Amino acid sequence: MNKNSTRVLGAAAAAFLALGTLTATHAQAATTVTLAFQSPLTGDAAQAGQDELAGAKYALAVYNASKPAVKVNLIQVDDQGSGSVAATVAPGVAKNKAVIGVIGSAYSGASANSFPFYIAAGLTMVSPSASRVTLTTPQAPDFGGPVFHRVVGNDSVQGPALARYATKGVTAPAVYLVDDQSPYGAGLAQYTVPGLAKVGAKTVGTDHILPTTGTDWSATTAKVKASGANVVIYCGYDIDAGAFVKSLRDGGYTGIFASGDGSATSSFAKAAGNAAAKDARLTEGDTPFDNVATAAQKKAFTAASGVKVAGGYATNTINATNVFLTCIKQGKTTRAAIATCVNTGKFPNFTGGTFSFESWGDIKGGAPIGAFKLDANGNIVYVGQA
Amino acid sequence: MNFSVLTSQFWSLCLSGISLGLIYVLISLGYTMVYGVLRLINFANSEIFMVGTFATVWVETGLTGHTSGSSPIHGFQLIYTLLFALVVAMLSSGITALAVEFFAYRRLRAKGTNRLASLISAIGMSIVLSESARILTHSRPQANPRLLEKSSLGHFAGANFRVDTVLVVVSALLMFIALDRFVNKSRLGKAIRAVSMSEENAKLMGINLNRVISVTFLIGGLMTGAASFFFMTVYETTKFNVGFNLGLAAFTAAVLGGIGNLRGAFFGGISLGLLETMSAAVLGSQWKSVTVFVVLVLVLLVRPNGIFGEAIQQTRV
Repeated sequence: MNKNSTRVLGAAAAAFLALGTLTATHAQAATTVTLAFQSPLTGDAAQAGQDELAGAKYALAVYNASKPAVKVNLIQVDDQGSGSVAATVAPGVAKNKAVIGVIGSAYSGASANSFPFYIAAGLTMVSPSASRVTLTTPQAPDFGGPVFHRVVGNDSVQGPALARYATKGVTAPAVYLVDDQSPYGAGLAQYTVPGLAKVGAKTVGTDHILPTTGTDWSATTAKVKASGANVVIYCGYDIDAGAFVKSLRDGGYTGIFASGDGSATSSFAKAAGNAAAKDARLTEGDTPFDNVATAAQKKAFTAASGVKVAGGYATNTINATNVFLTCIKQGKTTRAAIATCVNTGKFPNFTGGTFSFESWGDIKGGAPIGAFKLDANGNIVYVGQA
Repeated sequence: MNFSVLTSQFWSLCLSGISLGLIYVLISLGYTMVYGVLRLINFANSEIFMVGTFATVWVETGLTGHTSGSSPIHGFQLIYTLLFALVVAMLSSGITALAVEFFAYRRLRAKGTNRLASLISAIGMSIVLSESARILTHSRPQANPRLLEKSSLGHFAGANFRVDTVLVVVSALLMFIALDRFVNKSRLGKAIRAVSMSEENAKLMGINLNRVISVTFLIGGLMTGAASFFFMTVYETTKFNVGFNLGLAAFTAAVLGGIGNLRGAFFGGISLGLLETMSAAVLGSQWKSVTVFVVLVLVLLVRPNGIFGEAIQQTRV
């Protein structure tokens, strides 16, 4: 290599470094970035989305109160909890260059149908509640890696926990298992079956219903009664679970009714009526905000969200939002920088300690499943770990 | 297959099937009355039903202030609240049916357009009503408070005769009989049947065609509104698209019995209710729709005009 060529190379290297520094400075100088909150905000599943939105608003309010160098906008993306709707809204989010991360989606089907757009755009997702096992199974066709992460325990954890909690304290449990044929409901039922065998419960019948508004549950109710079941487990969503338990109680069934996180919203008791919903057992991969928050935090939550009492998955949503906010505080304001940060960083857990993600998107060491019970006023009361 | 459920729950399933079937009957009257007179399927009838369900919720929550946590009411207060809800649901659906006739059918009929235009117009009205309700309610379901305690009136062969089921069965039967007699015996009913048999001859006899058609829509709407009240009394939840599946089932019932035939709609509705309930119990809920439509196709292969078809000519509207 001669002197001239060395000079030329040196000049080129200096120019490259200067350009690189300028680019980096420009990226670091971003004073406002945007996060998308994707969830069902209207439709049947809206209550779940609104509950989670309140958690995201609270986390953002706490962040903004710390007077950060980078401001964060939150845009709301309504996928109605539906895969088909998600496939129509996700492209717009992916194209919006201002968006550097997605909190969501709340539902597995909506998450899966968003993956093609977010993977192509390198847009990181952190879901508070999407629990389908295959979303984080690298061999599965609906694997969301490398962009998808979640702070909730998946159905392979929730199914056995639901079986355990539903049959807890029941002598000779005889279980009737019903699912709604949705990917979520059928999936949860699939992981509940081995859990039932493990706790020594006998499965006395199964049914697969496709509920719509106004579904007549009388045939399923009759089968439950004929089977002699003393525990009914429903794997599906809140409003249908409410209609089902109402039909069971009206039909004279007096045993235990249990359901998973799809039913753990206030819509369940609204659809069932407080009397029919009373004592229903629910599981959810979340620790209720009210059980871990201080009085000041509860007050700040209400001020930020306008919601008096935090709903389901509020704590998980705070954790999911804080994943991004932690990275942004560290100066990561591009999609690529966020992706690296989320995959390698440690994040504060609202319930205490920190967490980080496995390479496939689940939380390292697993996430806990909470056990809940409906009181006489239709409130979902936390009773401990399932 | 689970035939054992029939041994212990047969009469219970029959009662549920008949109760559901009678709701189908009342909705199917909205289809069959209009078809009998205009030879057109009123696709907006499912939304006429939806309007009635929301009217019921409005009366039982907005007007009386009850919520999902309210206790059932009793005595005179219960009777006049339920009666008022029934009347408001019927009137809301009846007026909606009149509006559908006015906007979707009348002008097109006056201009002598073909049936396809009216069909599309009715589908358009159906979508307008459904989407308007969706926007107004943010797609959220609306729960009806339980005003009527669902206590048992007695048991027969394992079947629990609950007060709401008995109310539906008795009221729907009385309404059907009243309508049947109205169509067969009253002067206006005869005019409806005359238009149904021959529009041209009816006009020559001095029958006011527009008035008869409006009355037909109104009666169909009133019956559909009654169905919506009974539906809300039993199932207690509605949503902007509640009419879709129920409307489809009621239309199927009308076709099964012989569309345009009042008594055909009755037997079609009952048969469908029983078929749905029994197939869900024996084969599993996932096979319910498959069974119903397989039976419908088989019936239509043998009797293209439905089970009753034109056989009961005198009751045809």
